[in-house]
Amino acid sequence: MDLIIVVPIMLPILTGFLLGIIKPNYNNRNTIIISSTILNFILILYIILFKHNVSFHIVKINEFLDIYLMPDNIGKIFATLVSALWILTTFYSIDYMGNQKNLNKFFMFFMITEGVTIGIAFSGNLITLYLFYELLTLSTFPLVIEKGSEKALQAGKKYLIYSFFGATMVLFGIILLFSQTQNLAFTPGGIVGSVPMGNPNFYLFIYILLFLGFGVKAALVPFHSWLPSAMVAPTPVSSLLHAVAVVKSGIFALGRMTYYILGWEVIEHTKGNDYMLILVLITILMGSFLAIHQQNLKKRLAYSTISQLGYIMLGLVIFENSSYIGGMLHMLFHATIKITLFFCVGAIMHYENKTELKEIEGIGKRMPKTMLSFTVASICLIGIPPMNGFVSKWFLAIGGLERGNYFVPIILLLSALLTAAYLIPIISSAFFKGKPAHDVEVSEPNNFMLVPIVLLAVLNVILGFFPNALITMIQSAASKLF
Amino acid sequence: MIKFIPLINILILILFSFIILITKKEKNVKLMSFASNIITFLLSILLLTRVLLEDFIVLNLGKNNSLLGIQFYIGSSEAVISLTFTFVMLMILWFSNSSVKKEVSEIRISFFYILINILLASLLGVIYSNDLFNSYVFIEVSTLSACGLIILKDKKENIKATVKYLIMSTIGSGLVLMAIAYIYSITGHLNITNINEVIVSSYQSHQNAVLIILGLFTVGLGIKSAVFPLHSWLPDAHSSAPTPASAALSALVIKVYVFMLIKILFRMFTYEIVNSFIIMDIILLLGSMGMIFGSIMAIFQKELKRMIAYSSVAQMGYIVFGIGLGTISGTAIATYHIIGHAVTKSSLFLISGLMIEKTSSKKIEDLKGIGREMPITLGLFTLGAFSMVGIPILPGFISKWYLSLACIEVGRVPLILIILASSLLNVLYYFPIIINGFFGNENLDGKIYKSKKIELSRLIPIFFLVLSIILVGAFSSKLINLF
Repeated sequence: MDLIIVVPIMLPILTGFLLGIIKPNYNNRNTIIISSTILNFILILYIILFKHNVSFHIVKINEFLDIYLMPDNIGKIFATLVSALWILTTFYSIDYMGNQKNLNKFFMFFMITEGVTIGIAFSGNLITLYLFYELLTLSTFPLVIEKGSEKALQAGKKYLIYSFFGATMVLFGIILLFSQTQNLAFTPGGIVGSVPMGNPNFYLFIYILLFLGFGVKAALVPFHSWLPSAMVAPTPVSSLLHAVAVVKSGIFALGRMTYYILGWEVIEHTKGNDYMLILVLITILMGSFLAIHQQNLKKRLAYSTISQLGYIMLGLVIFENSSYIGGMLHMLFHATIKITLFFCVGAIMHYENKTELKEIEGIGKRMPKTMLSFTVASICLIGIPPMNGFVSKWFLAIGGLERGNYFVPIILLLSALLTAAYLIPIISSAFFKGKPAHDVEVSEPNNFMLVPIVLLAVLNVILGFFPNALITMIQSAASKLF
Repeated sequence: MIKFIPLINILILILFSFIILITKKEKNVKLMSFASNIITFLLSILLLTRVLLEDFIVLNLGKNNSLLGIQFYIGSSEAVISLTFTFVMLMILWFSNSSVKKEVSEIRISFFYILINILLASLLGVIYSNDLFNSYVFIEVSTLSACGLIILKDKKENIKATVKYLIMSTIGSGLVLMAIAYIYSITGHLNITNINEVIVSSYQSHQNAVLIILGLFTVGLGIKSAVFPLHSWLPDAHSSAPTPASAALSALVIKVYVFMLIKILFRMFTYEIVNSFIIMDIILLLGSMGMIFGSIMAIFQKELKRMIAYSSVAQMGYIVFGIGLGTISGTAIATYHIIGHAVTKSSLFLISGLMIEKTSSKKIEDLKGIGREMPITLGLFTLGAFSMVGIPILPGFISKWYLSLACIEVGRVPLILIILASSLLNVLYYFPIIINGFFGNENLDGKIYKSKKIELSRLIPIFFLVLSIILVGAFSSKLINLF
């Protein structure tokens, strides 16, 4: 019965192909995708609650090409996140994309992407992860260029080239690694530690290749520029790319590589993480600084993502228990926060046709619930206690201090200030500028859009107040690593 | 009886080509050709099963060990390659059943089938032969029949391409013949096994002669198999030929010469001998250059078939690269790539033929939006391209992976960069076709869904070829262990 863990991957993919083949009309399509995403969420919950230590070989071609699934705690958390946010995005997209033609193609790739992302979460070895990682590029590409304009195609091309470049570096690293270990299975603590340690510089080279390669999807500076360009995608896609599907897959893969393949002790021995720490800190600061200068709301959020991803990567280059927990928490919290922010901006774009900061004066009076959710999510992202962003940053800061890196908390604080600097202007101009409230007619988005937004905002607050269940789960994974 | 299958295969094909010559009705011509190819395909399966049991089969014709006695040697790589070739040729024939009329004038159709039969017979002959002279004869036959296939379309460009091909490959044959004469004068044998016995004990006293022989074989066979700087005839020839012929030329013909090079380098000489000469490094260099420059030139092509032809140059680079590593694993992966590329390139050529037929334009830029008009066809093309780019499980990825491991084995890690760079370059020329085919408003404007749909029956052989791409990937470890 271990076969059941293949279902959450195959169900969305098959649903996608079904859409492509039967080409249903608007109503039937909505029924199909909503029921498929919800069913998938239930399946994943079932697997988390009742299936422990399951694993499944899909195909085993030879010792390295072994497509193998083995969801552990971290994988299950990631899969839950993906499937839960996918349901909300599905509802949101139905309203956002409306009733234009050829949406079957869009939703086909939308569904396939869900399956592929869950595949990344469930991967049991590096080659399976790599397979799904490549498929992710291919399945998200049509979503990025959904508009079909020349600009969209250009952005899509950039996305493809960056992604394949990263994947090629990864492949190089995997080949070198495999020649040493003959094994690519995810093992807590890494697989390299168990074979005789050769030249540390060799492993340093592998580490840097893998880190930079996966870092492309995780928008690590200097490989970040595809992410703002990919903002030409429709908002539901942008929010998914940012919150779960693409950048988090990059992060997730980095986590697997660091803690389950090379092992942090090996990396620390090579001092590779110190070099990467520099890049990560640059990523945090540069993302924030660039965000301040963006007038386009989506671009502003895009650069904000780059900066926030840097936070998560802190947990992957500072090898402390608290850093790891902080990084993983921030991976989840940033997902729920950023998707809320994007949904709000998307609602403004869709209903008011406004994309720039200066255009949205007084929008808070017109869409109070939407903008209130935006405000809540902003406060979470800035990390004001007791919001969820605070919890994860707290762990990250503690981790840095335990390692003796005193500049980590300083940079975290500085970046929090910068976060405020690029989010508060949006809120203040939405609520405190423009016409007085009694002159403005309230016009909230359709419930398909509004309900996911409000739900997510509430979820953020709840996670901030009660993060302990999550922390315990991550701690149980971390205890095997440290 | 099974021992005689190699001979029967060749004879049946030639015999049927004579029967086709005196057959009048087009329908019967096709039937004959198809029947003979099915027989060889089935016999090749039988042959493979036997070889798997017995490791190898040797068939002597004429007196044993006599000077001009013909000897066939079928080991597992020969058996697998012959099965692949007969399979691919069968699919090409099936495809040509409905399409050959569109490119070849009616009076020449029976010529097409005669040439295809003779071509396959000679290719199998080169693969099976274990003596140099016999191989040489088959090489010449294959070259001439390939020329005939190119010129069937009798347009100006075809004649030009054929003359170019003929001249180049005659030079190649000349060099091979010289090498054979040299080796005969040193060893007094033409049988590869016998030469091997003599040369192992005496090569040290003929260092320079051996170097010259290796050089002659490499350049001579290199011209014929379009190894990088000697490839200039290939794009013209392969792009101007009728589509089924292009598929056969690109997928099969250039491969047998490189396979013969493998036999000469590693079976006639040995790994030990060839590795002591500089020639292996040169082969490695040629392979690397082919992988990079073949791809770069493919990027700049404006015509679809020329692009795919240049991609063949790059793919030959992989094979030559594997040979140049001079190890058993390198050779195994080169042999694997011969098979993987045979199925991939034949399907890509056949698909491109369909697209060219429907759009009636050779240009890549006219293929924009083709994904709306011919979704299934471009979908199959996409799968083939994925293999070229190296998506895991497909043969292209397997070749890349094992080639890289083989590089590490001989301690040449930087060479992996060439392999990876080449696969990135593949993305640059295959993906734009797919992207512009399926996506982009400008590209899709005014295109009517499935308006240029191909009847499903014409797609069946391509389906089989694409399926075999996946199978070659899925059974890669079993295949590679055979070689």
